[in-house]
Amino acid sequence: MSAQPSLAPLADTLGAIAVPARMRTTMLRRSLREHPGPTVAALVGLLAAAWLIRYALRGDQHTLGLLAGAWVLGWIVLPLLLGGGRGRVRPAHLRLEPIGGVPAAIGLLAASAIGIGPAVSLVALAALPVHAARHGTVAVLVTAGGAVLLWLFGLIGSAIALEVVGHAGGPAGALLTGVFTGTAMGVAGSLWAVFPWVSVLLVAAPQEVVRAMAYVPSGWPIAAVTGPTGRGVGMMAALVGIVALCAAAYLMLVRRVIAAGVPFRPRRTTAASLAAPDREWLGWVPAATRAVVGRELRAWMRHPLRLQYLAFAVVYGALLAGLPLLSDVDLLLPWAGPLAVLGAAAMSAGLVGLDGTALWLPLTTPGGERAEVRGRALAWLVLVTPIGVLLTVAGVLLAPDVDPLAALCTLPALLGAGASVPVWVSLLRVRPVADPRHPTAADNPTDIVSVLVATGSGLVAAAPVLALVIWGPSGVTPLLPLVGLLSGAAAWRGGIWLADERLTRRGLDVLAAAGQRSRPTETVLPPTWDAQWFRENKLTAWALGLLTVGWIPVIPQGVMPLAFGIGSGWIVAGHLSGGARTAVGLAMIGLGVAMLLAGLVLWDRRPQPGGSAHPASGQAE
Amino acid sequence: MIPPALEIRGLVKTFAAHRAVDGVDLTVHPGTFHGIVGPNGAGKSTTIGMAVGLVTPDSGEIRILGHDALRERGVTRALTGVLPDGLDFPERLTGAELLRYSAGLRGLSRAAATDRAAELIDVLGLTKGAGTPLADCSTGTRKKLGLAQALLHAPRLLVLDEPFEAVDPVSAATIRRVLRRFVAGGGTCVLSTHSMLLVEQMCDDVTVIHQGRVVAAGPVAEVAAGSSLEDRFVELVGAETSGSAGLDWLTGAR
Repeated sequence: MSAQPSLAPLADTLGAIAVPARMRTTMLRRSLREHPGPTVAALVGLLAAAWLIRYALRGDQHTLGLLAGAWVLGWIVLPLLLGGGRGRVRPAHLRLEPIGGVPAAIGLLAASAIGIGPAVSLVALAALPVHAARHGTVAVLVTAGGAVLLWLFGLIGSAIALEVVGHAGGPAGALLTGVFTGTAMGVAGSLWAVFPWVSVLLVAAPQEVVRAMAYVPSGWPIAAVTGPTGRGVGMMAALVGIVALCAAAYLMLVRRVIAAGVPFRPRRTTAASLAAPDREWLGWVPAATRAVVGRELRAWMRHPLRLQYLAFAVVYGALLAGLPLLSDVDLLLPWAGPLAVLGAAAMSAGLVGLDGTALWLPLTTPGGERAEVRGRALAWLVLVTPIGVLLTVAGVLLAPDVDPLAALCTLPALLGAGASVPVWVSLLRVRPVADPRHPTAADNPTDIVSVLVATGSGLVAAAPVLALVIWGPSGVTPLLPLVGLLSGAAAWRGGIWLADERLTRRGLDVLAAAGQRSRPTETVLPPTWDAQWFRENKLTAWALGLLTVGWIPVIPQGVMPLAFGIGSGWIVAGHLSGGARTAVGLAMIGLGVAMLLAGLVLWDRRPQPGGSAHPASGQAE
Repeated sequence: MIPPALEIRGLVKTFAAHRAVDGVDLTVHPGTFHGIVGPNGAGKSTTIGMAVGLVTPDSGEIRILGHDALRERGVTRALTGVLPDGLDFPERLTGAELLRYSAGLRGLSRAAATDRAAELIDVLGLTKGAGTPLADCSTGTRKKLGLAQALLHAPRLLVLDEPFEAVDPVSAATIRRVLRRFVAGGGTCVLSTHSMLLVEQMCDDVTVIHQGRVVAAGPVAEVAAGSSLEDRFVELVGAETSGSAGLDWLTGAR
């Protein structure tokens, strides 16, 4: 007997819904067969989920809510950074299919649910009902419902994020990548402050966390069964509302993509571009320099890697200064600005390589070299100064008991050096990206030497202020702002002079290097100890050793006892006092700087895997 | 006496062991179209690159409108408009922003820059390219935008490397008209190309470069010597047109 005609449209719709899921299943099966990555990720994810469930058995309710929220947030954000969109069925794939918005959205979400991330997340969120088991069966059921709602929130949120934000190649993805890497590095650099806080958090959430979790949806499923019934119903209803809103937003998005072209990519009109306001506030700057400033500011706002670098510097600086608060140390807060400025300088040490051979334009213009150098430096200053000032002022306001003078006076010195020296460094060591038109997150035009020189120049510029703060007589304090400004001006002049010299005398070499797209083979370091490799690459090994160990005499053995008066345990100068302490501290800094410089020289002279140390550059036609 | 628009004497350039340009002499008369032709790798782009200051010569002299191009760089840069081949632009700028940037570099007033850019965008059919980031523009649009920036400051010598590459026929006709008006107005245009037809149609003089040396130079009709320029070119570079032998597996009866 044939199927009843009235059921045929329903069957067609169900069939259409199932298509994306079948496509996704095929893709997943193939990727599991061809690559071990997803299997490894699944095992790591399952281990983390098992730890979360174990924690849920005896752990703190609010901390568990926080961890569940972090898990869902990670599920939404991490695919943007790690290219998790590959192998997904996307709305654009259904553009030519005869399928409506609702079935398409359902089908796409069903397809999104097939994968390692969603499966592992479902296991991890089971920690919530496990924790609620102590409150009875009804609590387990309610919390399980809440966990499923959180899972749906993660599933739909991830799908929306991938469509709207795109991948790391787009500006929003680049910003996220910068924030994420800055956070990771900031936390890594503040482990001493983060670890004790995390240990406290795992035992019992502090009061401020408890208060905050009342407003965080991931805390609601458990809060719903531990508080008054009315409040619990409200929380679960709110959770349903959030998921429904996300679903509606996703449905609209899918409809737009299926109906039209790629959304959210507005084109700038000719008229708007031509009539764009000139930078009147830079009227005192020569027109050619102003033109370069305009080009650079646009590049900073639009180039995904530049945005990523800037976001990294800001987040890294802010976290290095702010995370110690977790251990009640506010000493570094006013330094948020200087640290971010230093980070921005370091991240700008390879910008010429990002631009490919676009330097030919200033090199065919009268006085173009000077305009190029000054425009680049000035644009950096225009962009980074407000960030540095804002972070410094915020730090000062948040830590009213800390003397901010040293940080405030160091800021102009760092700005002067950070604006100009990286321009010189990036003209000196050009590492062009493979495709300047469409760079990827994997492109990195900066190497360790460029970063160290850019950072080192900032530290040298800041040295007069720091030296006066540490060793200067008390009467010299009013002069510190002037010293900072003069140091910044001197660093600016020095950096501009060096960059001018480089571009004016060797501009064509720079251009040829920028056109050298076939990069020589990178030095590949062995992932594990390999005695044979170290025997065959002694210069590289020595360079790496010196560049790693050289920081120990400089920072913990030198700067920490001299600048912050820290002295205990293995810090040699800390066991001395007076002149002996100063002398030993300074000797340690000298030793470390010598080691780092020797490391840099050796790194530059290491044998290149592909042949000569300095590849010949040029073009022929 | 009016000096040549471009005068090159004994130009040499070597990359590693390869001598890309080997004693090139070239004279471009003012107010003319001058074509530079040659097979791939002949040294055309390197010669042009050295003429406009984008490649350092090992030896030789270059004079632009009577000025030493190696010593009076500021003057010769102001006189010259350049469209190089295969180099990047500031890729995040839109076409219109590129023209504003280029005008700013050249010190043009804002009003002049806006008027000239708008006119060039209109004449060269760049309305879409003007609002699109250069990174997303097609090769043809990039060529036209490059030409627009080269014309923007009204140079006296225009040096164009493969200006018609990937440009559609309608745009190519427009560009030819613009360039003819430029030369009729007293400007000089040097262009490298692989199209012999284009040289025959547009150029007064032609220089044929092969293996880094000039193998023929002079008025187009004189160099063609009674045959088509294409045949003469093949003869000059000493290559039989290959393709008539071999490939039996492709052309044999199936």
